[in-house]
Amino acid sequence: MTTPILEARGISKVYGHVEALSGTNFDLYPGEVTALIGDNGAGKSTLVRILSGAEQATAGEILFEGKPVHLHSPTDASRLGMETVFQDLALAPHLSPVQNMYLGREVMARGLLGHLGFMDKKRMREGSRSAFDRLGATVRNLGGPVGAMSGGQRQGIAVARAAAWAEKVVFLDEPTAALGVVQTKNVIELIRRVSAEGIGVVFISHSMPHVMEVADRIQVMWRGRRVVTYRKEDTSMEQLVAAMTGALERVAS
Amino acid sequence: MSTASATDTADVAQVVEEPEGGRLRGLARLQVLQIVLLLFVTVAVFSILRPDTFLTLFNFRGILQNTSILAVLGVGMTFVIITGGIDLSIGSVLVFSGVVADKVMAAQGGQGWGTVLLGAGVAVLSGLAWGLLNGFLVAKGKVAPLIVTLGSLSAALGFAQIITGGLDLRDAPRKLVDKIGFGNVAGQVPTLAVIAALVVVGGMILLHRTRFGLYTYAVGSNAEAGRRVGVNVDRHLIKVYALAGLLAGFGGILNLAFFQSTTIGGQSNTALNVIAGVAIGGTSLFGGVGTVFGTVMGLFIPIVLQNGFIQINVQPFWQQVVVGAVLVAVVYIDQARRTAAVRGGSRPRLPFLSRSGSRTRKETE
Amino acid sequence: MNRRTALVVGTAVAVLATTAACSSGSSSSGSGSSGGGSKTYNLAFIPGVAGDAFYITMQCGIQAEAQKEGATVKVQAPQKFDPTLQTPILQSVISSKPDAILIAPTDVSAMQAPIAQAKQQGIKVVLVDTTLSDPSVAESAIASDNSGGGKAAFDAIKQLAPNGGKVLGIGVQPGISTTDARDKGFGDAAKADSKFQYLGVQYSQNDPAKAAQQVSAALQKDPDIVGVFASNLFSAEGAATGIRQAGKQNQVKVVGFDAGPDQIKALQDGTVQALIAQQPATIGTDGVQQAIKALKGQPTTKSIKTGFTIITKDNLTSSEGQAAAYKASC
Repeated sequence: MTTPILEARGISKVYGHVEALSGTNFDLYPGEVTALIGDNGAGKSTLVRILSGAEQATAGEILFEGKPVHLHSPTDASRLGMETVFQDLALAPHLSPVQNMYLGREVMARGLLGHLGFMDKKRMREGSRSAFDRLGATVRNLGGPVGAMSGGQRQGIAVARAAAWAEKVVFLDEPTAALGVVQTKNVIELIRRVSAEGIGVVFISHSMPHVMEVADRIQVMWRGRRVVTYRKEDTSMEQLVAAMTGALERVAS
Repeated sequence: MSTASATDTADVAQVVEEPEGGRLRGLARLQVLQIVLLLFVTVAVFSILRPDTFLTLFNFRGILQNTSILAVLGVGMTFVIITGGIDLSIGSVLVFSGVVADKVMAAQGGQGWGTVLLGAGVAVLSGLAWGLLNGFLVAKGKVAPLIVTLGSLSAALGFAQIITGGLDLRDAPRKLVDKIGFGNVAGQVPTLAVIAALVVVGGMILLHRTRFGLYTYAVGSNAEAGRRVGVNVDRHLIKVYALAGLLAGFGGILNLAFFQSTTIGGQSNTALNVIAGVAIGGTSLFGGVGTVFGTVMGLFIPIVLQNGFIQINVQPFWQQVVVGAVLVAVVYIDQARRTAAVRGGSRPRLPFLSRSGSRTRKETE
Repeated sequence: MNRRTALVVGTAVAVLATTAACSSGSSSSGSGSSGGGSKTYNLAFIPGVAGDAFYITMQCGIQAEAQKEGATVKVQAPQKFDPTLQTPILQSVISSKPDAILIAPTDVSAMQAPIAQAKQQGIKVVLVDTTLSDPSVAESAIASDNSGGGKAAFDAIKQLAPNGGKVLGIGVQPGISTTDARDKGFGDAAKADSKFQYLGVQYSQNDPAKAAQQVSAALQKDPDIVGVFASNLFSAEGAATGIRQAGKQNQVKVVGFDAGPDQIKALQDGTVQALIAQQPATIGTDGVQQAIKALKGQPTTKSIKTGFTIITKDNLTSSEGQAAAYKASC
C-alpha cells in the first residue's frame, strides 16, 4: 500500500468553548478523489482550512508524503503543492481570469523591466489559456472581469487556477453548491481531469449524487470526527446519510 | 434525492444567454470615454459662447496650470481609492511639506537649482513620512482610512501652523518660481503642466503595467483573495498610502513654486476637490475599479467649468452648484450602470468606513 | 448604452445653457455691446472674498462710478480670502480680456506673478484695498491709510475719554501689514499725546477668549486703563468681555475697526463705543477713475490713501453714520 500524500492524525480545534474538531483523522492518496461529507457543523470546512494552512489546529499532526509538516499559512500549503478552492472562490471580481490566475504568482518581464515590477502580460495570457483549455474550463473572455461572469465560469476559473498551481493536492469546498446542471457537469468533468493528472482531490459536498458520481472514497464526519470511510463501490446513498446523521455512533454507544 | 431540478433548468437558460463577457472592463472604458466626451462638449459650448476669449492659447495655458498640481495629487488619490480607501489628508500634507521645504530652503539660502533640489527632496520626504504613517495606521492599526486621514488632515495642518506661527512663508528661490512655477517648456507649454504630465504617465504605467498596479486593484477588489494567494495586503496598503503622501509632498514644492507662498489657509478643500475629480473620472469609491487617465479628465471638468463660467460671468455661488450637480450626476449614472452589470447586485458598505479588507471572509460551518 | 451617455452630455449642455442665460440676465450695469460713439470700457472687479460687506460696499462704489463713465463692470470673487482660489479666477478673467482689472490681491507675493500676466496681456491693473510686494505692475494702488486709521482710533478714544489715561492695543497677530500699520499708527498717536500713556499691543490670535484674558490681566496690572483699540471684531468682543469681567464697563472705552453689519451691531449693543470705518466706496470710486485715466492714456496717481470715519452711537443714525456703515447690498 502506498503512503497517503496527505494524512491528518488526531486533529482538534477549539474556538473559545466550542470544540469544532475533536481528534479527527483524515487521509488522501495521490490521484484519487475523496469526498468529505457531513452535516452542517460536522467540521468539514474547519478540517479543510486546517489542512490548507488557513487555520492552525489546537492539537494533532499533519503528515505530507509521510513526513510531519507545520502549515502556518496558505502560502506554506502552496509551497508543498496544495491549493484550495474555498466556498467563496476567493476570486477578485474586478480582475480578469488571467489576473486572478496569476495573482501572487505573476510572471515578470525579463531583465531590468522585471526588476522594476513590470509583468509579462503575454506569457501570463498564454499560460492561462493553455491551463483553461487543458482542464476544459469554459472561459469566454480572458480579459473581462470575473465579477461579470456566470457562477459556472467563475467556479471553473477558481478550480482551474487551483489545479494549475497544485502539484499534489486540491481542496474543493462545495464547488457545485450554487451551480446548474450543465455547470455542475463541467466542474465534475474538471475534477476528473485534475485527478487524472495524479493530483489528490478533496471534495466537500452536501450533494450525495455528485459525491457518488465523482468520488473514489468517501469519508464521513459527524460532530467533529471522521466516523467512517467507504469506497464508493461498497456503499449506498442511504448508508452515507445514516452515517452523516450519527446512526453509526449511536449503534456503537 | 430532491435536488431542485426546476432551478437547474432555469440556470441552463442563463448559460445560453451568457454575454460576451468583459462588461465591467468595457464599462470602465465607456465611462472614461463619456468623461472625455463631456469635457469636449463643455469646451465646445464655451468656445461657441466666447470664441474670442475662451479658445485662446493664454486661456488653455491657464487651465493647464490650474489643473497641474491637482493632477499630481490625483494620481496618488486614484491608487488609494482603487484599494477601497480614501485620503483626506493630502491638502494638509501638501501644506506641511511646503512649509518644511520652505524652512529648509530659507536656512540653506541661495536662489539656484541646488536649493530647489534640496527643497524638492525635503518636501517629498515629508509627504512620504505622512503617507507611511497613514498607511501604517490603516493597514496595521486597522483604523478606518476615513478616520486615519481625517486625523492627519488636522494634525499635518496643525504642525504646519506650529512651525510657521500661522503665517505663510515666502522663501521660494527665484529659480523655483521662474523656471518651475511660471516657466515654459518649448516656448509655450507651462513647465508645471509638463511635470504633471510626467507624473500622470508614470502613474498610468505603474497602475496598468506593473505588479504594484495589479495588487492595487486586487486589494480593492477582494483583499482576502489576495491574502490567500500570498499577496502581502498590509504592506501593499502602506505602500499605496505612502505613494499618495509622497505625491502630496511633491505637490507641496510645486505649490510653493506657483504661489510663492505656503498657502496654509488655502488647501482645506484640496482633498475633496481631488476626490471629486477621481470620482467623476470613473474610479469607484467601492474599490477595484479606476484609471489615472479618467482622474485627470475628471479634474479638468470643474476647472474648465469655473473658467468658462467666469468668462460668461456666472456668479461664483452658481459655479459651485453646477460643479456639485455634475459630480453627483456623473457618479450616479456610472453607479447605476455598474450595479446592473455586476452579478449579485447588492453592494457592500463603503469600504473606507470599515477596517481594511474586513469584508469578504465568509465564515461558514 | 448610448442613451445614458447622451443623457449626461445632454444634461450638461442644458445646465450650461441655462446658467449662461441666467448670467446674461443678471449681468451688471449696461448691456455693453452697443458701442456708440465713445469707447465703452469693460472693467472687471476681483474682490478679496465673496459676500463680505467691505467688498460689497466697494463694489457699489465701483458700479456707480462705472455707470457714470459709461463702462461695464463684471465681478468675480473667490469663496475664501486666499490666493489658491483667487489665482484661477484672475486667470479666467484675464482670458476674458477686459480693458482693466480692479483687484484686491489676497497675498502680497502669491498674486504678484498672476497679476503681472494681466499687464503682459495689455490689461490695466488697479490694486484696491490690499497691495503687492511690488505694486509697480499696477497703474494705481488705492487703500485706506492704515496708520491714519490707527490715529483715528486714538482720536476716537480721546473723544470718549477727554481726561486722558492709559490705552492698550489688542491686535490680531503680528506680520499682517494692514493691522500692523493700524497698531503702529495708534501707538504713535498715543505716545505723542502727553495726557495718554501707551501700554503697547497684545495679540489675540483672532481668539475672543484670549483677548478677554489679555484685557482682564492688563486691568489687574493697570486698573486705570481708559481705552482699548481692538483691530478686528473678535478682538473687540474679547476686550469687551474682559472689561465686563473686571466690572469697568463705564471706565474703559473700546474702539473697534471696520463697520460691517456685525460691527454696527456691536456698537448698538454697547460692546464697543466707537468704530473706525474705512471708506471702501471711495476706494472703489477712485479705482474706477484711475483705471479709466490709464485707459485714456492720461497720467495716473500711483498711490492713493483714503480716509476714515469715526462712528459712535451719537452719529450712527445720522446721514454721515449711515453713509459710513458698510452695505450688505447696493
